[in-house]
This record gives sequence, structure tokens and C-alpha cells, in this order.
Amino acid sequence: MADSPQEIQKAVRKILWIGAILIVFTVITVALSYVELPSHSWNLIVGMIVATFKAALVALVFMHLNHEAKLIYKILAFTTVFALAIFLLIYFTSLDPLEFARF
Amino acid sequence: MDIPYTVTARPDTGLYNAKVGIWLFLASEVMLFGGLFSSYIFLRVGADYPWPVHELNVTLGFINTLVLIGSSVTVLLAWASLKLRRIGAYKLYMLITVLCAATFMVNKTFEYKAKFEHYSVTLTDGTILTGHLPHGYSLEFGDVKTLNLTVAGKTSAVDADPVKYVLPYVKGDVPKFRTEAGEEITLDAASFAKLKAEAHAKAVEKAKAEQLKEVPNWSVKLTAAAPLTFSVPPSKLLAKPAPGATMIAFRDGTSVEGRMINDKMTLEVDGVDLRATPDKEKSLAWNEHYLGSAWKKAFIEQRDHAIAEFNEKYGDGKGGTTRDPNKSATHQKHQFFMHLHSAKPESHGADGAHKAEAHAPAGHGEAHASHHPEVQLERKDVQFFSNFTPKLNSYYAIYFTLTGLHGMHVVAGALVLAYFLVCNGRMLREDPERLANRVEVGGLFWHFVDLVWIFLFPLLYLL
Amino acid sequence: MSAAAHTHDHTHDHAHDHHEPGFIGKYVFSTDHKVIGIQYAISGLLFLLFGFFLMLLMRWSIAYPGQPIPGFDIVSRLPVIGGIFNEMIGRWAPGGVVNGELYNMLGAMHGTIMVFLGIVPLGFAGFVNFVMPLQIGTIDMAFPRLNMWSYWLFFISGVGMLASFFLGTGSVQTGWTMYSPLASTTAVAVTNIWMHGHTWWLLSMVFNISASLLGSVNVITTVINLRAKGMSWMRMPFFCWAMFIVAFLLLLAFPPLEVAALLQFSDRVFGSSFFLPTGLMEGGQHLDISGGGSPLLYQHLFWFLAHPEVYVLILPAFAILAEVIPANTRRPLWGYKAMVYGGLTLGFLSFLVWAHHMYLTGMGTMMSTYFQITTVLISVPSVILLTGLMISLYGGSIRFTPQMLFASAFLPMFGIGGLTGLPLAFTFIDLALHDTYYVIGHFHYVVAPGSIFAFFAGVYHWYPKATGRKMNDLLGKLHFWPSLVGMNLVFAPMFIQGMGGFHRRWYDGGKYFEQTSSASNWFTELTSGFFGLFGMEVPNNLLGLNVLMTFGAIILMLGQVPFILNFFLSIKGGEKVTSDNPWNCTTLEWATPTPPPHGNFTFDIVAVRGPYEYSVPGMNQDYFPQWESEPGKAAEPSAVPSAPAAAAHH
Ligand code: HEM
Ligand SMILES: [Cu+2]
Repeated sequence: MADSPQEIQKAVRKILWIGAILIVFTVITVALSYVELPSHSWNLIVGMIVATFKAALVALVFMHLNHEAKLIYKILAFTTVFALAIFLLIYFTSLDPLEFARF
Repeated sequence: MDIPYTVTARPDTGLYNAKVGIWLFLASEVMLFGGLFSSYIFLRVGADYPWPVHELNVTLGFINTLVLIGSSVTVLLAWASLKLRRIGAYKLYMLITVLCAATFMVNKTFEYKAKFEHYSVTLTDGTILTGHLPHGYSLEFGDVKTLNLTVAGKTSAVDADPVKYVLPYVKGDVPKFRTEAGEEITLDAASFAKLKAEAHAKAVEKAKAEQLKEVPNWSVKLTAAAPLTFSVPPSKLLAKPAPGATMIAFRDGTSVEGRMINDKMTLEVDGVDLRATPDKEKSLAWNEHYLGSAWKKAFIEQRDHAIAEFNEKYGDGKGGTTRDPNKSATHQKHQFFMHLHSAKPESHGADGAHKAEAHAPAGHGEAHASHHPEVQLERKDVQFFSNFTPKLNSYYAIYFTLTGLHGMHVVAGALVLAYFLVCNGRMLREDPERLANRVEVGGLFWHFVDLVWIFLFPLLYLL
Repeated sequence: MSAAAHTHDHTHDHAHDHHEPGFIGKYVFSTDHKVIGIQYAISGLLFLLFGFFLMLLMRWSIAYPGQPIPGFDIVSRLPVIGGIFNEMIGRWAPGGVVNGELYNMLGAMHGTIMVFLGIVPLGFAGFVNFVMPLQIGTIDMAFPRLNMWSYWLFFISGVGMLASFFLGTGSVQTGWTMYSPLASTTAVAVTNIWMHGHTWWLLSMVFNISASLLGSVNVITTVINLRAKGMSWMRMPFFCWAMFIVAFLLLLAFPPLEVAALLQFSDRVFGSSFFLPTGLMEGGQHLDISGGGSPLLYQHLFWFLAHPEVYVLILPAFAILAEVIPANTRRPLWGYKAMVYGGLTLGFLSFLVWAHHMYLTGMGTMMSTYFQITTVLISVPSVILLTGLMISLYGGSIRFTPQMLFASAFLPMFGIGGLTGLPLAFTFIDLALHDTYYVIGHFHYVVAPGSIFAFFAGVYHWYPKATGRKMNDLLGKLHFWPSLVGMNLVFAPMFIQGMGGFHRRWYDGGKYFEQTSSASNWFTELTSGFFGLFGMEVPNNLLGLNVLMTFGAIILMLGQVPFILNFFLSIKGGEKVTSDNPWNCTTLEWATPTPPPHGNFTFDIVAVRGPYEYSVPGMNQDYFPQWESEPGKAAEPSAVPSAPAAAAHH
């Protein structure tokens, strides 16, 4: 945790930088969405990669996840696994080879 | 007696209590939005209609993104200022953060309002017309002589209450009514309560006399002194009446017999979507009393132009294309989704009139009324209609749910931050370190709200 | 309080710490974890009782369809109670006969109330609030005021649920699982959708879920950050471990149910089609909806919660037994570490098995296979937990106190419940058994003579700590034996009926399904023969079992009378305990005065040993408390290194 005044000053500069980067990438996201990639899935994938990058910046820097107590990482790791489970498993049930799932 | 580790961190975990608490809370929030995003994926994968892309107001969404990023920065600056004991700066940054939240919500309100006022009508052949209802939409039902009320024997989900659910829709003055006993009454809350009590008493009597197990429903007829005409939105009826119906039932179960005078829907059309219409050139939209052949011509022009452009862009030189035109969502939209910008079709040049740009109807008022053709849709041609609300389709359903929940988080976060700013003056003086912890924790929540928006913006507005 | 706690500065703004709060502050809007725990426990018990009463009405209707409920007339003529009863239930039962509509309400509300308003508040919230902060040696939960809010949110949700009975529509009717599309479309065309039992159910659930979320944040934070000096993770009693895991389940599994509730709410109130497929018809008419949604989505979101939820129901039971059994066998808990890791594995896996409730939805074979595998896997940690408790009995000198009776009955009862779950894990068997009474039998064995027995054990065990008096032994036994007999009479025949094909939601108990219900076997013969001894004519077929089960339920009901008497009479009239540790236990809650004051401990508590040091060889007493450095002498805080280094890891 940045606690001494100098460290806080440094942190402030970093925050402003990251804020600027986020804005730039927001513009990039919007622009990219108007570019026609080979298929719309590509647009989705690229868009999600950019969004994930931005989200990572927010989480790592703004929410100081780049240096946090180990316990927080553990909690978030499990949360991520379960969140992925609910994404992927539900998604897979709609992709079964027998195509039963699609009503 | 104090709870330990409210201010300083516990040595072995390296965390103070509130920090653990907020991260746990955020973990559950991740699962909440995880569930919602996974519903989004499921609905999108299973959607049986073209998923809307660039259909919302991108500019507003973009501004809101900037606002949220800005507020994320200022809440951190507030925290840093507090750590450095620059109280003035702390207060200023907090204030800006809260104002950003307010801006966000105001923008959202505009966006929602525009959606509520915009309608989409699916015709029976799958053609979709979008536009505004200049006069709203009400059925006109006339020649009504009697109200048939049903007083439920036991309390039930549908019970007569005509004062609240029927009379507001009478056109003109409400006449007097005659009861079955021949009494002349003005129907209002008091007189109806009396009627209802009488009816109930009769029902109870009958149950006793015939040894019924249950108190039966009791029907009450009220004859109007003068024929009634109703003007009622379909949503205020129990069920949508069929075209040309001779009876309608209000939400309290009161039914009336009469004649449908007018159930046509007047729509100022600002878009025609033919993607789901099997034969685009025979769409109901081109009926002469709807949009007519002039617009059909404009549509064909746009379509051919889009095809030409597609071939030019992706032609492989051998008469085919490198991309499957049927699989290109954008191309389908360029071909079959026409925006109407004027009351009469202009002849389109090649200069990009096909562009299916996001056409937000924000700010459409009476002044613009003449900018769109007005059609009178007959009920028999209408399969489904709704304004742009969750009812319209699963895209708008998930859009409103996601942004609505996110908006609630914005409000909650802003309230908490405002509380720190306004109500924690004493802590600011006496224990600024503890307040800094609070601001940090509130900030974490605020960043999370920002983080969710980072995904929402592209998923709903752009892709 | 530990030395570490003294290091932080004492500035705070809690004015209320300094003067005695009044009655309301002390017992109603209290922030004290013990009071909140008792509030939860008593509310939970009351809801269990109410849910039980709903079940009795259902059982009557099943055994004697079309016949008036005995005593209906008398109850409905009672002065105040009669009025309430009539408004709530009577008006749906003309002449005292339960009809299909009422049966559906009873069924839906029985499930909801038992699971969300009875067992979780009692077993988790009640016990964890009262016991856990004591066991880890701290003064309160990490966020006492939030704790109070959780209780009141839960309270609002309970009131909302009960109030929905009084609405014009009556309460919700679509089963505790609220499956869409039925639940999205039934009775939407009503005068006012906001005054509808279903709407109230959904909103109450949102309150209930929020309460659980806040509660579990509190519990986890407390366990992580407020453990006393020396209380390393591996010195934590298994009780705290299990509750810690449950809190995680609530924290991460409940949000998707909140999503499901909100989406269904949107479907009903705003007319969206989240769970409604295109072209859905009702009564031969196309509904006025856009379609494009999926009923499967609802089931996924629901079961993503509801499978972890079943472990929320059972882990508190293991938690309690891990305290009760060692205390009454005077032996250490067998395989403490294995149980901890087993519990963690169970918690983890429970998130990955949910769709075994959905085999018959046409989900597809690949996913079914995946879910079969994980479901079979998860029975391994379940068996580890059960085995640990079972082996703990070995070589003990068992004291058959009432709590121990309940604990020892739990083991075989949970065993039956768990083992009957295994066949259900396989798609080909579930094909026949899904939605039959077999499934009902399976989970009731786990939850009723399982969880609820364990909670009774917990009540008997910690009652002296809360009140300073023991509950009466004889009444305890009079409570136990009829309960055991009643439970088995109610739930065992369900397996037989289920395998005979009885559907779980027949309000007439199968009377109109002769093909199914006319089957007979040795068990039905025994049943009809038995009742024949008393001159009652009970058919020698599966229908006859309904009568048996209803009698079981009545025995069960009678069995609860001694408990209720015991619970209230012992507050003033129970045997006074002579020491702060009447059962000679080892864990920290017994180091407090009785009942524990605000702030709990009177000396600086440190944990210097593991939680289950019973019958340590070479000692002249058969227990060695966690807080004592040598028998009878509390350890000095300096006895352990200042930062419990081992604590951070496990
Ligand atoms: C030990 C391993 C267990 C296995 C393999 C197992 C398996 C299953 C399966 C496959 C079903 C679905 C049956 C169907 O609907 O066709 C089921 C239902 C159920 N189980 Fe279990 N179970 C186990 C333990 C438990 C425990 C410990 C509990 C609760 C404390 C529990 C509570 C339930 C409930 C409540 C249902 C039915 C829910 C409903 O449909 O209303 N089960 N179980
Ligand atoms: Cu399950």
C-alpha cells in the first residue's frame, strides 16, 4: 500500500496515466466496432479482448490488485472459476452435438 | 470493547476488516453479473432474430463511459488527497465523483425515455415497422349500453372495481347508471362499495340456501343512461381483443359488449426491417394504404446498392464473393433494414443512403412529426407490437436488466460516497485514517461499477 | 481480547458502546452476535413449525383426498386464530377440503419456507452467529451493524412470504422451484400484478438473498480476520470450518438465483421473454410475448444456486455434529484434517454438479455425461465427512444425552439419504425416478432426519450456554423417539411409491391414477395388515402407504410437543448449570461466563492447542480445553508468538 507522501504522489501520476489510457482504448473500442472484420464473431472477440484489457487495468491499478494480500487472490480465484463455470457450462448445454438444447 | 482491525491491518492476513468485507461482496457481485452475462450469452446464442448491433445511442453510451472513467480517477484522487490530509482537494474530488454519477444517471434517463416512446410493430408476415405513435395507441370501442361486473365470492386475483379500472377510459362525460333494482346512481367509490356489499350479501345468502360449499361469484349489471364509448389502451384490458371483437374485458374482469369503432394503429414509420420477411418485395409494408410502391422502389434501390457495394468489396474476381452474403449480419442489415428520414421517399443517390447507422430517436418531438410517413395499421395485420421495453425482444430485455441493475449500483455507490462526504465530518476531523479506509473501500465498489460498464458498453451498444 | 487487538488506537464513534442499551436495543435491534443468533434461531424454528403445519395439510389431502380436514370447523371458529386461519387458508378450502389450488400453494410455500426461511436461518445463521465468534475467541462479528441489518432483511422477506397468503390471489402456486414457463405465465392477466402472490414471492426472495449475502460476508470476514491469538486455521473447530465453507457457498451461489428471480420478475411484470420460447401457446392461444428466450436458462440459474444450497442445508449439520459427537464420546474427532479438506472439496465441487437436476430437460448427452461424473465425484467427500463422524464413535464412552441421541440417529439417516441420491446421479435411472416420490424421499432423508435432527442436537448442546440451564433429559427423549419413528414412517414409504411411479405433485395422492397406484407388495400388505389390527380399512396397494405416511406425520407432530414445552419451560425451570463448561468441552465458547456477556470473554483468550483434545493419555481429566496451558489454568497471552505465523496458511 502506498502510504508515504512520495509514494502517494507517484500513485497519483500513475492513476492519471491509466485514466488517459482507458479513454484512448474506449475510443479504439468504438472505432473497431465499425470496422468489418471477416465475420462479426471476430469483432466480438477483438472487442472483448480490448474490454478485458481495460478491465484488467482498472482491476490491477485502480483496485490495487497488482499488490494485494494473498487471501484476496484466493477468494477471487475461486470466484473466477465459478463464474467461468456458469458461463461455459451453460453455453455448452446450448452447443450439444445432438442440438436438443435449442428450443 | 472494540472490534479489532477496523483501522489497522491484521498482521498475518495483511488486511483490515472492511477490505476483506468489500472484496467478498465484490466476489458475490461478480457472480451476480456473471449470471447476467451468462444469460446474455445464452439468449444471444439462441436468438431467432438478428441481434441488434449499433442500435442504441452510441454517443450517449460513449459519453457515459468517459464519465465513469473520469469518476473512477477522481475517487482515487480523493482518497490520495485524504491520505495527504489535503482536505479541500479531498472534498472537491469527492464532489466531482458524485456529480459524475449524477450525469451518468441523467444520460441514462434520456436514453430510457427515448426507448419508451419508440415503438416496434411486427406484421403478420414478419415485417417489422418501427416508429412513433403520435396519438398513443388506444382502441375505440363504442355502442356500449351495460357494464357486466363480476363480484368475486372469495377474494381473487380479478375482482370488480370499475371506478378504478373502467371509468377512466370512458370518452366524454360519465353518465349515470341504473342498477338492476332500477335505482339511478352516479358510479363512484362510495356507491360501488354499497353495490358490491349488496351483491356479496346475496351471494352468501344463496350459498346458505342451496348449501353450497363456496360463496359463488355474483354478476351485477349496470345500464348506462347514455351509450358509452371507450378509448382504452390494450394493456389496460385483460386480454388483447381479436380484430373486430364485439366484447372487451377490463383488468378488473368487467366486460362490456359493443362495437369496435377503431382499432387501427397510427404509426409514424421511421424504419422498415425486412430481414425476417420471406418475400421482401411482397411485404405487407408495401400495401398502397401503408407505405406504398414509392417506398418499395426506394427499398429496392437501397438493396441493390448494398449488393453492388458488397460485391465490389468482397468480389473474388470470378463472379462470386469471398464472403457469404447470407452470413454477413452487416450486409443483411444494409440490404433489408431501411431507415425513413422523410415523409416521402427521395430518390437515393449512391452517397451512402444505405447506411444503417444508429438512429436514436432522442429528441423527436412534434416538430419532427412530418419527417416520417404516417400509416394506419390494421389490427389484422399486426402480430405483435411493443415499445422498446423488455417486452420487445430478448435483446431489449437483457439490455434493460443489465443497465438497470448497473444503474442501481451507480446510484448506490454515489449515495455511499455522498454519505462519506456529507455525514462523516466528525470522522474526517478526528480519525482521517479510518475515513480514508472507508473511502478506499467505497472506491473499490465504485471501480467495480466502472469495470462492469467496460463490458456492458461494447456488448450492448457496439457489438 | 488478544494482544494484537490492543495495538490499534481506540478512537471510534460508537457512542452505544459506553452505556447500556435499553430493552429494544438489547433484544430487538441488537447488534450483539449472540442476540442476533438467537433471533435467527427462534425465527427459524417458528418457520419450521409453520412449514410443518402446511405439510400436515398436504399429507391429509394426499391420504384422504376430498375429505374435510379434521378440526377445520373448530379452528376456523376460534376467535382470533380462526380469523387468521380463514383468511390465510380456510377461504381456499371450501368445507375444509383441500383443493388443487390450495395444495399447490401449500406445496410451493412448504418448500420455500422450509429451505429459505427455516433451515438456513436456523442451521446456518442462528448457530453461526451464536457459536462461531465464541469459538474463534472474539468479541463480536466483524460488522455488527450489518449483522443486524441482515437479520431484519431476512425478517422482511419472511413477513413478505407469509403476507402473500393474505393477498387476493393467495400465495404462489408453482412449486418451490418456480419453473418457467409455467411460473412466468400463470395468472399474469390479473387486476394488479403487484398485488400478486408470485410477485411477492419473487421480491421476498430478493430480500432473503440480500440478507444471506450480507450475512455470509460478515461470517467470512470474521473467520478470516478476528480469530483470537493462537487460533490458527488448523486449530479452528470443524464447526467454524464448515460454516466458513457454507458462507462461501451462500456468497457465490446465491447471486445467480437473484438473477433468476429478477428475470422471472421481469417476465411477469414487464412482459419480457427471458424464459419463454418463441411461439409459446396457452389454452390454444398464442401468448402476447415476443419469445426468443429459453426455459432451460431458468433451470440453469436456479440449480446453480440450488445444488450448492443443499450443501448449505447439510454442512451446518456436520458442523454441529463435529462438536456434539466428540463432547459426548469423550474422543477426539476422527480425521479432523481429512474432514476439513473433504469439506473444502465438497464446497468446490458443489458448484459444478447442478445440472443433475436437469437430466430430463433434453440438455444433451455430452453435458449429461459431464454432470454424471461430477455428481458421482461429489459423493466421495460427502462420504468422508460421514465416515469421520462415524469412526469418531469408535472406542468412545458414549453419554446418551438427548443431543447425542439425535446425533447418532443422524448418521444412519443421512446415510440413507445420501445413498439413495447416488442412483439418481445416473441419467438412465433418473429417467424413471425424476419427479417421483423417490426424489422426495431422497432429499427429505437428508434434510429432515438429517439436518433437522442435527439442529435439535445443537439446540440441546448450546442451550446451557445461552440460558445457564440445561434442557430436560426426559422430555428430550420423549422428543427424540417419536421424531425418529415419525420421520421414518413418513419418508421410507416414499421410496416404494416413487419406484412405483408416483409423481411428486399429485394433490390427491394418486387416487385417479389407478394403473400406478394399484400395485402392491409385501410392504403394502404389511401396512394394510397393521392397520387392519385396529379395524381400519387401508387398501393393500401403494395408496395404502399414504395413510401410513400421514399417521407418521401425526406421530412426528406429537413428538414436537415435548420439545416446545422443554424449550420454553427450561428457560426458567431447567436444571441450573454449575460450571461454565457443563459438558466438559474443549472449545473456546465454554471459556466464557454463562450466559456470555456483551464482549464475551472476561480474560485475554488464547488458543494453545487443537480443538478436540479429549481423553489425552496421561491426564487425569478426559478433556484438555483449547485455552488452558495446563489443566485448570488459562494460558497467558505471551504463551504464543505475537503474530500467529502458522495462521496464514493451511
Ligand atoms: C450424497 C450425494 C448426493 C447425490 C449423488 C445426490 C443426487 C441427487 C440427484 C441426481 C437429484 C435429482 C433427482 C431428480 O430430480 O430427478 C437430487 C435431488 C435432490 N437432492 Fe440430492 N444428492 C446427494 C445429496 C444430497 C444432499 C446432501 C442434499 C440436501 C441436504 C440433497 C438434496 C436434494 C434435493 C433438495 C433434491 C430435489 C430438489 C427438487 O427437485 O425439488 N441431496 N439429488
Ligand atoms: Cu443436486
